[in-house]
Amino acid sequence: MPYLLAAHVLLALVAPLLVRRLGRDAFLVLAVGPAAAFVWALAQLARVRDDGAVAESYEWMPTVGLSLSFRLDTLSLLLTALVTGVGALVLVYCARYFSSGSAGLGRFAGVLLAFAGAMLGLVLADDMVLLYVFWELTSVFSYLLIGHSAQLKAGRRAAMQALVVTTAGGLAMLVGIVMLGERAGTYRLSEVVAEPVGGTYGATAVMLVLAGALTKSALFPFHFWLPAAMAAPTPVSAYLHAAAMVKAGVYLVARFAPGYADSSLWRPVLIPLGLATMLLGAWRALRQHDLKLLLAFGTVSQLGFLTLLVGTGTADAALAGVTMLLAHALFKATLFLVVGIVDRATGTRDLRELSGLGRRLPAVAVMAVLAAASMAGVPPLLGFVGKETAYAAFLDAPRIAGWASGLTLAGLVVGSVLTFAYSARFVWGAFADKPGLEPVTPRPVGPLFAAAPGLLAAAGLVAGPMSGLLGEGLAHYAETVGDGHPHSIGLWHGVNTALGLSALTLAAGFALFAARDRVAAVQAKAPGVGNADGAYRAVMRGVDRVALTVTAATQRGSLPAYLGTILAVLVAVPGVAMIRGGQWPDTLRAWDTPLQAVVAGVALIAAVTAVRTHQRLTAVLLVGATGYGVGMLFALHGAPDLALTQFLVESLTLVVFVLVLRKLPKRIVERHSPVTRAVRATIAIAGGLLLGALSLLALDARVAPPVSDAFPKEAYEFGEGKNVVNVTLVDVRAWDTFGEISVLTAAATGVASLVFLRKRTGAVPRAHAIAPPPPGPTPGPTPAPQSVWLPAGALMAPQRRSLVLEVVARLIFHTILVLSVYLLFAGHNVPGGGFSAGLVAGLALVVRYVAGGRYELGSAAPIDPGLLLGLGVLVSGATGVIGLLVGGEVLQTVAFEQTLPVLGHVKLVTSLFFDIGVYLVVVGLVLDILRSLGAELERLDEDEDMDVDAPLAGVAR
Amino acid sequence: MTVAAVVSAASVPAASVSAAAADSIPAPHIEYGVLSPLFVVFGAAVLGVLVEAFAPRAARWAVQVGLTVLGLVGAFVAVVLVASSDDWKGARAVVAEGAVTVDGPTLFLQGTILLLAFVAVLLLAERRLDPGPSGAFAAQASTVPGSPGEREATRAGAAQTEVFPLTLFAVGGMLLFPAANDLLVAFVALEVLSLPLYLLCGLARRRRLLSQEAAMKYFLLGAFSSAFFLYGIALLYGYAGSIRLSEIADAATQAQGSDVLLLSGVGLVTVGLLFKAGAAPFHAWTPDVYQGAPTAVTAFMAACTKVAAFGALLRIYYVAFGGLKWEWRPLMWGVAILTMLVGAVISLTQQDVKRMLAYSSIAHAGFVLVGVLAADDAGLRGVLFYLLAYGFATIGAFAVVTMVRDPAGEATHLSQWAGLGRRSPLVAGAFAIFLLSFAGIPLTSGFMSKYAVFSAALDGGASPVVVVAVLASVVAAFFYVRVIVLMFFSEPAADGPTVAVPSILTTVALALGVTVTLVLGVIPQPVLDLAGDAAAFVR
Repeated sequence: MPYLLAAHVLLALVAPLLVRRLGRDAFLVLAVGPAAAFVWALAQLARVRDDGAVAESYEWMPTVGLSLSFRLDTLSLLLTALVTGVGALVLVYCARYFSSGSAGLGRFAGVLLAFAGAMLGLVLADDMVLLYVFWELTSVFSYLLIGHSAQLKAGRRAAMQALVVTTAGGLAMLVGIVMLGERAGTYRLSEVVAEPVGGTYGATAVMLVLAGALTKSALFPFHFWLPAAMAAPTPVSAYLHAAAMVKAGVYLVARFAPGYADSSLWRPVLIPLGLATMLLGAWRALRQHDLKLLLAFGTVSQLGFLTLLVGTGTADAALAGVTMLLAHALFKATLFLVVGIVDRATGTRDLRELSGLGRRLPAVAVMAVLAAASMAGVPPLLGFVGKETAYAAFLDAPRIAGWASGLTLAGLVVGSVLTFAYSARFVWGAFADKPGLEPVTPRPVGPLFAAAPGLLAAAGLVAGPMSGLLGEGLAHYAETVGDGHPHSIGLWHGVNTALGLSALTLAAGFALFAARDRVAAVQAKAPGVGNADGAYRAVMRGVDRVALTVTAATQRGSLPAYLGTILAVLVAVPGVAMIRGGQWPDTLRAWDTPLQAVVAGVALIAAVTAVRTHQRLTAVLLVGATGYGVGMLFALHGAPDLALTQFLVESLTLVVFVLVLRKLPKRIVERHSPVTRAVRATIAIAGGLLLGALSLLALDARVAPPVSDAFPKEAYEFGEGKNVVNVTLVDVRAWDTFGEISVLTAAATGVASLVFLRKRTGAVPRAHAIAPPPPGPTPGPTPAPQSVWLPAGALMAPQRRSLVLEVVARLIFHTILVLSVYLLFAGHNVPGGGFSAGLVAGLALVVRYVAGGRYELGSAAPIDPGLLLGLGVLVSGATGVIGLLVGGEVLQTVAFEQTLPVLGHVKLVTSLFFDIGVYLVVVGLVLDILRSLGAELERLDEDEDMDVDAPLAGVAR
Repeated sequence: MTVAAVVSAASVPAASVSAAAADSIPAPHIEYGVLSPLFVVFGAAVLGVLVEAFAPRAARWAVQVGLTVLGLVGAFVAVVLVASSDDWKGARAVVAEGAVTVDGPTLFLQGTILLLAFVAVLLLAERRLDPGPSGAFAAQASTVPGSPGEREATRAGAAQTEVFPLTLFAVGGMLLFPAANDLLVAFVALEVLSLPLYLLCGLARRRRLLSQEAAMKYFLLGAFSSAFFLYGIALLYGYAGSIRLSEIADAATQAQGSDVLLLSGVGLVTVGLLFKAGAAPFHAWTPDVYQGAPTAVTAFMAACTKVAAFGALLRIYYVAFGGLKWEWRPLMWGVAILTMLVGAVISLTQQDVKRMLAYSSIAHAGFVLVGVLAADDAGLRGVLFYLLAYGFATIGAFAVVTMVRDPAGEATHLSQWAGLGRRSPLVAGAFAIFLLSFAGIPLTSGFMSKYAVFSAALDGGASPVVVVAVLASVVAAFFYVRVIVLMFFSEPAADGPTVAVPSILTTVALALGVTVTLVLGVIPQPVLDLAGDAAAFVR
């Protein structure tokens, strides 16, 4: 069986080439593929009859339990014969339907062949997932075929609609398949049907599978896509919408019916839906003027009928169902092909414009009459046999409540009456002489063009009398359904109720047709029922609108909104869990000293005010105030070292902030509504409370003794220092510190490289480098020499100078530097250390820069910051080696103690040098920031008047 | 920020004083062999930095591209060797003093990341589509958009060849992320992969402000989520007394300590992971960043970051939180459902191809989460397969985006794509294949991946989620189909964009995308086998 499929694929691939070479005659060559499959299927007849089925299986994806399993049993054989036989004939028909020059004919041919292959695979597949694969492929290919006449907007929409509806159903089906497969432990279709999965689970799963079937077979309420799909070329309609694709749904129902017809949801869903579809389609077919649309609604109706029959789940109904399946394929394909001929020959399909065609194209008319008669259920055609069997099946239906089968039977009769009426209307509309209408003059129809419908119509005629034989074969399938003892079928069962109903149908149908004018009047008045197309569009519009609303609400590109979402989730999920399950400490001590409360209060007020202020600078200062508050808390808690560092970092951050803020607008523009602000405030407060509470819980959850108990002793014994924090930095965690200063160096370099576009290294701009202030006569009072407090002060714009600042800077600069050196050396034992000391020195530089401008900075530190940074890392690294040299580990602290003549007892620990490295790096960092964010930006401002907001955005971190 | 780091180190008392101060600290034992992929990539990255510093400008581009490709290929070879050689098979275990685990999933994910990164680098190196020495990247990223400095840099023929070492660093981080066996290593890896990405996002040559805004947003939100991740680690450490995944798992099974610490820690760590994976409600950055970043970078991010993030998510959830399945599953159900719905529904309204792909990536994150929910080997196998398949399709899709251009650069507005199928059937056809794969149509890789994760989740008892997943698939499929209709059945606009002819690099990337998408759709078995063999975490 895979060879057949491969042949289709191969033909599909070469189709474009063939069409290019042979023109439309290529279709004749292509027809060989389906024809071969047809012959093969017939050849298997005997084997299927004897063995029940022919199966083949190949490994595909053993890991996920998928295999290429194929199985040919009676039902498959029937469908295979239909799909391939009609397929071959349609291809032959195509060879005359299209003109050689049609655009995209090669592609069309390829897709049609591919579709035929997919369809063949679908009916042969025995693996449910494989079935699904083919199922979706038929959707995709049919979409391409329907959309073939893409120039028409209607064609596009129809294609889209068909694909959306069938894909949606297909996905539901996939879930059903997986549910069944997982529960049954096998994906073999035959096994899942043979040993059905029971219970609600099984019923649900099979309903999901049926969702696929219902959409594909255009059952109410999914019927609307089929008439819309009539935008496709007529051969496509004949093939897809008569013989093949829409039958896939019926096939699926028929396939599952033996195992699942008794499941709880099966009949209550399928029978009403089938009946409703049958009546609705027939009713609407009755009022169509386009012959093709008439057939389309007729198809909808017939599909409802078929689904109802195969879905009933009794042997008789099943037999009637498969008989009708065959009959429908034969007559509906014929009719579509005839419409194509009419269309080609006359240029119209509107039955209000056609007249007298029967006399001019008698052969075509005969085919149409035969097919329509079969559709209407006129003996001795196959349609009659099927319909009568159906009546009989519901006259005596086991497993169905009497009222239900009676109701169904009544519905069937009404539907069949309508069917007769529209069948007659079709023949009359296409071929009759209509008074008051010019007879049309058709173009001649070639024998090859008419061959396909002719053959199909003849088959319908022959099959009627032969139905006894046919029934024997089909009974193999019907025996698997329900009670398993179907009655035989045939033209003549004697005079019985079913025959009476058939006669009634014919009579009533004819009456309805005769009164067609009055019926049309009634229909015009009756409200349009079941306009599911509108519903589909409403759903699509609704989905679009929801999508727009959701997008507008959540995706505004606003950073605060995004962040707010994240925070809100955080508060909602762990926050709620915490409140519910937290083991809160029994007693809480509010404070050690009331001073702590005061400081905390100040910090809180600063935080609140910072959010409310409209001045950027004020906001930054207030944020700084909260930081100082935290520093104060550290100090009050007995951690002077931390407090010192916190103060220094806070100050430096403030300076950096201010440097950057010079470039930003002064005011924070407030554009938010009170509601927005309230929401944000809520999220912010909740977030703060969450983290606070989390800290409380975390502290309370401590079970192990804190390491700080043993720390001071260890720090002194191994690190030779009394300042625990400093020893941690330079000894215990020296590796970490070393890593951190390296990162710091890289970060400083990175910041600078963003601002210094061209080069950073080279001469430092110093006051001396610039021409000194002109010594000559200057306007105004000449400044006295002693008033030069800072060397570069004179280079600043006069309005920016501040004498007080210059004096202060001059006075305290060196003092601060001395302090920093003290902190550096004392740090090992008392609060201080390289990091704090470096920050202090950096602040000294800040003072000089603020007072004297960028040349002053150059004079204060006439050195490349990069050099300082590098030197710092080098010194720290080199210190590490000392430990090695004296036989210890890298970065191990070594102490040298000596009593020196003047200084007294001196204890020198190597970690001091490590700290010096840190010191240098920190000073280098501050210098680098001052030079890049301060001096260089100042220079750029002077150089060119340009907007520098953008790069600062990256630096502001 | 770094300043604060120093301070915090000072304020947190060291955990193991005695160990640090003891006379003999045993030298860490590093298994260089099994870790070689990492070393190769990081080594190439460092070399790239040196090239940037010392190679003459004219030669840099060629050298960088060569070095990067060599690094990735070398690392991939190393992965294959580690995975196949018998010598190293025995060594598959927790290595590097317990910091890293090299096991089946690690190797599969690393291989996936390297393959995808290779394809993405081909796109990064494309210079014919956007002629000029810098390709699709700004000549000098630090110049202000529209400034004289920018023009000067362009005139001088500057090229931001840093792109390649940055990419390599990011790849290195991605390789480490799913292999991390303790949370701190995971955090380091997270940052190593994130920081270069933040930078790369801001390097677009055209629409630079949009690109810089994207980088800024990504950075800020990323920094926040990383902070949450770190905070979560702290809480978990407080709970279990360890950051080692297996020890957290042990502590959780013994139910020692406070549940609040544990659950809050899990929650916070999850935020960080889900953010990187782009799952709702932490997805909001995705569309903005995907749209703003240079398309090649977007492709790289969309494919590789997702693999790495989900790899880490899998490991952390399976190994550390495996015993907490019943606690986190309801939460993950919610996240998966929300993610799929948000991604699918919002993608409907998108008018920009890149944004649409971004939402599609969100929806796919949701589908992958469905596989994670299965919490068994079948789920793991499905997720591994999914990530590989999705990665190739998504890079291919973005490759197509780079090729559809008008005079102003890439034409990303959907209306401009109308009728593309008429003008360039091949390119539009390739895009259609990717879309069909995203939609999960059979015979494309997307179907196999969806099938694998959905069936695993169904088996694992997550049927409601699977139902939502199918619904979301329908909605998403509707949208993909709409795009295909637009490309093939609409009249091309008169002044619409054209498909530029790319160099061999993009062509190869696109061809690889199409091939893998189709091959994985038809014969996925070998890859499924690989993923199946890989599918067990070593604890």
